[in-house]
Amino acid sequence: MALRDLLKGFSAQRWFTPKPCRPLPLIFSLFREVLKANNQALELIADIGEKLSGEYLFDLRYVEATVEEMIAAMRRAIAAINTLTQDRCATLHEIFAPMEARVRAILTGRDDREGPPLLWLAEVEPRHWPLVGGKAAHLSELLHNHRVQVPEGFVITSRFFHDLLDHNGLRPEFDLFEQRLTEQEVNEDELERLRLSLQKKVREAAPPAGFLEALTGLIARFATVGLPPLFLAIRSSAQEEDMDFSFAGQFHSVLQVHPGAEAVYRAYLEVAASLFGAKAIGYRRQVFPEGGPMSIAACCQRMIPAAASGIIYSLDPMAPGSRNMVAVGALGQGQAVVEGQVPTDFFRISRGEPLKIVERVLAAKHEALRPKGGDGGGLAMQKVPEGQAETPCLDEPNLLALAAIAIHLETFFKRPQDIEWTVDQQGKLYILQSRPLLITESAREKPLLSEQLEGYELVASDAGRVAQQGIGAGPAYWVETLADLKEFPEGAVLISHRDSSQFVQVMHRAAAIVTEVGSPTSHMATLCRELRVPCLVGVSGIMAKVANGEEITVDAEDRRIYRGRVVELLTYQATTSMDLHMAPEFRLLRRILREVSRLNLVDPLMQEFRPEGCKTFHDVLRYIHETAVLALVELGRDESCLPGGLARRLDLPIQAGILAIDIGGGMAPDAPRDLVPFAAIRSIPFKAILQGMLFPGAWHQEAMPVSFRDMMHSMMTTPQDTLSGQYTGHNIAIISENYVNLCFRFGYHFNIIDAFCHEVERDNHIYFRFLGGATDLAKRSRRATLIATILEAFDFSVKTRGDLVIARTGNLARSEMERTLDILGRLIGFTRQLDVQMTDDRVVARYAEAFLMGDYGVFAEKR
Amino acid sequence: MSETGMRLLVVDDEPIVGKRLKQVFGKVGFEVESYTDSAAALAAMVEKPFDIVVTDLKMQGIDGIEVLKRVRAMNPETRVIIITGYASPDTAELAEHEGVFAFLAKPFRLDELKEVIYRAMEPNRTKA
Repeated sequence: MALRDLLKGFSAQRWFTPKPCRPLPLIFSLFREVLKANNQALELIADIGEKLSGEYLFDLRYVEATVEEMIAAMRRAIAAINTLTQDRCATLHEIFAPMEARVRAILTGRDDREGPPLLWLAEVEPRHWPLVGGKAAHLSELLHNHRVQVPEGFVITSRFFHDLLDHNGLRPEFDLFEQRLTEQEVNEDELERLRLSLQKKVREAAPPAGFLEALTGLIARFATVGLPPLFLAIRSSAQEEDMDFSFAGQFHSVLQVHPGAEAVYRAYLEVAASLFGAKAIGYRRQVFPEGGPMSIAACCQRMIPAAASGIIYSLDPMAPGSRNMVAVGALGQGQAVVEGQVPTDFFRISRGEPLKIVERVLAAKHEALRPKGGDGGGLAMQKVPEGQAETPCLDEPNLLALAAIAIHLETFFKRPQDIEWTVDQQGKLYILQSRPLLITESAREKPLLSEQLEGYELVASDAGRVAQQGIGAGPAYWVETLADLKEFPEGAVLISHRDSSQFVQVMHRAAAIVTEVGSPTSHMATLCRELRVPCLVGVSGIMAKVANGEEITVDAEDRRIYRGRVVELLTYQATTSMDLHMAPEFRLLRRILREVSRLNLVDPLMQEFRPEGCKTFHDVLRYIHETAVLALVELGRDESCLPGGLARRLDLPIQAGILAIDIGGGMAPDAPRDLVPFAAIRSIPFKAILQGMLFPGAWHQEAMPVSFRDMMHSMMTTPQDTLSGQYTGHNIAIISENYVNLCFRFGYHFNIIDAFCHEVERDNHIYFRFLGGATDLAKRSRRATLIATILEAFDFSVKTRGDLVIARTGNLARSEMERTLDILGRLIGFTRQLDVQMTDDRVVARYAEAFLMGDYGVFAEKR
Repeated sequence: MSETGMRLLVVDDEPIVGKRLKQVFGKVGFEVESYTDSAAALAAMVEKPFDIVVTDLKMQGIDGIEVLKRVRAMNPETRVIIITGYASPDTAELAEHEGVFAFLAKPFRLDELKEVIYRAMEPNRTKA
């Protein structure tokens, strides 16, 4: 049911083959069933998110139980929507089955086996992260970041690693080895024997059929025009690497590899075999003992022929409280720096505004690691010409540019970063790796934080609720309208009255977010958790306490906000933020949440809004909700299915000619059978619309010329009018206490407003459809543009085509719903009066502005 | 509130619990020790008593109720808090009977546990 089908179907008589009519109350109650099942699933997803915010303690049992409940709720929701739509959503079963399988795979630790064996780096999506390993996951994120240059490449995934094991009959040995690793009593000899055997066998493993061809295909994708000859760097990207554990230097990398499938495959085998290297196994046993079986992926990227390379830390690990960064560099390839093979230049840069180099210690760089040259590949140490050894490896502009990138990446990843950089012969800066910076703290002397914090001024304590744990500091930046987001500075703290999922646009640049209203289960909160932005919501009055631009520190763990930059807290954050994420349960739950909650189908009016566009549980739930709404929207269109006897005329001060059908609680019990007055209407959304229609001047002007009024009047009260193209039929409102479906026809206009409004924000929606007729296409398009302009000003998502306007909004609190519906009521009246005087485009803007200013009398001037 | 000197023992077969509580309560000045093995935890208690014990219910070997009983026998001053994903009215009642200070169902907000622990630190002997 893509948008184009909607548009086609709207003009046609029906958009689905007619089935026998079902009673309205039944359809409505089926709708409520869908909402209920949907909500159960959504609440479970929100619950997981909340548990991950860091405020909670949970265990594995919770994870398992919640996953089961969530799957059951999803199944109920899919069943409910199919009952409502009489099985038109049957494809959802097939769409959901692989999603369920993936979540179960995560639970059983098999999620690194589901997916493609090869992936182009730029095409890696979050759901691939378990397959591509930490390093590649970070790099793929960086690839989409416009501030940094990352060499292109592809990933040989952990799926391939498992295929390789299976193809070469190594699975039993591998399983045995992993089992032995985790046993309490370890037989060191046996372990060593198994380790060496696996290492050797992987090095000699044969590729599964078709792999080398596939590899050749990927290698062909590298750009070659105008570039130096292609060589590849094959680097490890293990599951845990760079996500939570550095595994720095524990695995093998092979550089300057000839770009042929055979050479790349051999290099890959070296990397894969290093999973069983003594270093890596030793590291695992020491640092990561309860981790479970590990697999490995390999990142294959273009080698950048380096003029210079090095490392930069966005924070000085020796003095995390200072506001300095440190960088080192040497001439040639970075491997030499990383392996400590050459003396390096040292720079200290202060993080103030502007960045300043505060210390420079240059080394005598007599050697540089460079490509050997020729087709064979490989690197070798070469002598550096006399003059160059003393000059800095990076000139000042490049060094400052690098420093700015380091700060940006720290904000982007929400942690201090350990970054590998390289500069090519043309002076272009590349980022090869960016991972969390490890800052150790001395074990026994944990300073009593609380004492040190006494020196700082508390702006707020017991502040609101935690949406995402963490500590962030920066200048406060007020966001009052969405337009403010465009100017959001790097590293600022976003302060706003209400929360909005639109903040996602700046979350990568934000140090923290604080809102005056909002809940830890809102869309924005979910996004904060995904992107790990420290966030406090419901901190009422914060905007009065903090000036725009003022530096503040947000402790979204203890729910406090301090004036100024609390260095001690930031240091604490840098030293401890690793711990939580190490816990397997935490990582597990986070992987599950990512798999389940990432929203791809955002705008229901978009083309991609189809079952096939659903990638996650959340997408499916969104799709189900929209489908349910659409099922209701069509209710009022087909009069043959409406119970004629139940339609009651309304008695309003305006001649609107509306018949109302109450399906439950829409009218007062003692309302008269016919000519129901406004006062007897109990339907919350319908009442709001009527209020708008009744607003003085919205429906008609007192001073309108009689003939015009008569003309409108006659259009209203002669539904059997036979003017061609006019819509026949009554104006029907199907109402209940929380619902309205209003089909409003007059003259050549056809409006549908469908709204559901009650206490649970998530359930609330407004659907607005307008189709105008008569007059020429140009005028009709202008009218549509006018309506679209007005609706967008009220936060509707709007699509127009010709004279058809479809608009949608939802997830609003009840009071906002009522306000918006009131506006729609006024809009109906206003568009009635539009007459057909949309003579040119400037008129559109003028009338839109008039409406938005509340000047409904704008037409009086024309007369 | 700085609580230097208060000793807190955590017993739970899932390592995340000990780590998390160590992080949270370490930040406010508690001396925290955690064990995934209940026998080892009790041995530590014998060696040097703890002021507060936070224990899981379902564990291999010595379970939470048993831990509760032994701690109360060894050191009546020590307040014991049970945390569990298997909370039921019966076990809660049993724990009450054995003198548990508080009974929390997992998952719980760390704030809630903090509150309970601060209450447990009050010199006043009567339970809230």
